[in-house]
Amino acid sequence: MAVAKETGERLAAAAGLNATLHWSQALLDAEARRADALPGTPPLRGMPIAVKDNIVTTDAPTTCASRILEGYISPYDATAVRRLRAAGALVAAKANMDEFAMGSSTEHSAFGRVKHPLDPDRVPGGSSGGSAALVAAGVVPAALGSETGGSVRQPASFCGVVGVKPSYGRVSRYGLVAFGSSLDCISVFGRSVDHAARVLSAMSGHDPLDSTTLDRPPTAVPAALPDLKGLRIGLPREYFPADLHPGVAAAMARAKAAVRGLGAELVDVSLPHSAYAVPTYYIVAPAEAAANLARYDGVRYGPRKAGPGGDIRALYQATRGDGFGPEVQRRILVGTYVLSAGYYDAYYRKAQQMRARIADDFRRAFAAGVDLLLTPTTPTPAFRAGEKTEDPVAMYLADIFVCAISLAGLPALSIPVGRTDGLPVGAQLIAPFFEDERMLAAAAALERVVAADAEVR
Amino acid sequence: MSIGRDDVLHVAKLAELAVRDEDLDRLVEQLNRIVDYVAQLDRAPAEGAAELFLPGPSQVSLREDVPGPVPLARPPAELAPEFADGFFLVPRHGAMEDL
Repeated sequence: MAVAKETGERLAAAAGLNATLHWSQALLDAEARRADALPGTPPLRGMPIAVKDNIVTTDAPTTCASRILEGYISPYDATAVRRLRAAGALVAAKANMDEFAMGSSTEHSAFGRVKHPLDPDRVPGGSSGGSAALVAAGVVPAALGSETGGSVRQPASFCGVVGVKPSYGRVSRYGLVAFGSSLDCISVFGRSVDHAARVLSAMSGHDPLDSTTLDRPPTAVPAALPDLKGLRIGLPREYFPADLHPGVAAAMARAKAAVRGLGAELVDVSLPHSAYAVPTYYIVAPAEAAANLARYDGVRYGPRKAGPGGDIRALYQATRGDGFGPEVQRRILVGTYVLSAGYYDAYYRKAQQMRARIADDFRRAFAAGVDLLLTPTTPTPAFRAGEKTEDPVAMYLADIFVCAISLAGLPALSIPVGRTDGLPVGAQLIAPFFEDERMLAAAAALERVVAADAEVR
Repeated sequence: MSIGRDDVLHVAKLAELAVRDEDLDRLVEQLNRIVDYVAQLDRAPAEGAAELFLPGPSQVSLREDVPGPVPLARPPAELAPEFADGFFLVPRHGAMEDL
């Protein structure tokens, strides 16, 4: 019970970050009692874990940080949550996020923006910004987020914590509120690679309730590697542009030196279609979102609003117009536009073809004998709140180094490798499909030698 | 590529989304910017027809076609504002009264 009390005290002390949407001492105490009653020594015994508010739990609301789901309580628990509880973890809080996971700064929450733990004027990244901030502020050692196009790796980089996106299909999506179903992955933040790997191990594996999960065992927690000898790590040249932020470039120089010092061989590679990843993503993801979010109509979920004329369509339109925030509305409109009859071939079909070419770029790079890829996670450190809210395309470009991997369904992680002007910088490791363990083992070795909290240059 | 006010209103209707008059000009401007941005795919070199790509396992593993109860934490009566005789009670709509 001590852990429940201490976690409650830390959550209360961190209230200024606005990183949580729901938590209570009573729920924490109940979680601790449940964990205490488990037989044996479960692997995550007593570990408090924050859960992004688009992952359903039966004992607290799940709102996706949207007015349209205000007060909604799920009748079932997500598989990931069920498995973490069975492994002895405590669900500590539901974490704030960009509404329906659409955003890169956690400024698009209907319940107020999340502040960066190191600088309240800056953003923690997004869309899983609440989860990232809670781990970075030392409130919880690990947290669940979700990725559709980089929503865990990007905030992990901004906040200076580890963020791991597993291979698509390794963690059940049952109970993750759908955004882009061919992209969505429950993902994890950790104070260290080991924390993230242990959580991933406990919640991954086949689930009969999600037919896209792989029928293979859960990820193993990799054994510590003494060095990286014999490993070939590719540096995709498209991810190191001349105009990369100088602090990010300096941190990457430190990461490369550390990897080389561990005995890995660094090789130049090319992913020629990289420039098309963001435009491809912003066709595919809104198209899937427009379909997935059609279910929020005021009849099946959440508050409803009567429209002019009082008929059912007016009710749908008024409820959705009122309940969805501006970014969600933009994405629904873009998604509907690119799927509409006159434009399907011009946009959606082209994006699907480009998605295949982007995935093929990675396949070729790995087939040529590269074991992992190393890139910056983000082009800049955390930006200021308000800096990109009026320009959606500028916001989308914050995901330029993360969203190609999501389109390809590959595992990738972000690990802090230094600070520039006091702000964390993350490096990204990308692995071939289903080689999550290789990536985690290499990250753990890198973590041991890199001065993540030290200023670069 | 240019999206006008009528296009936005048409798409909003398809998406069952009420757009406020005061938001319309900003939406037109932003949607143009987004669609102009993603339209750069048109300029990508067209090298052979790419296969459709889907992430994840090449074969999805389907469950048996056996209907079963969804494990709910609470019974249906506790989920709905109003529930009687095994039915969810929903508001009466004007359009349905006219039929």
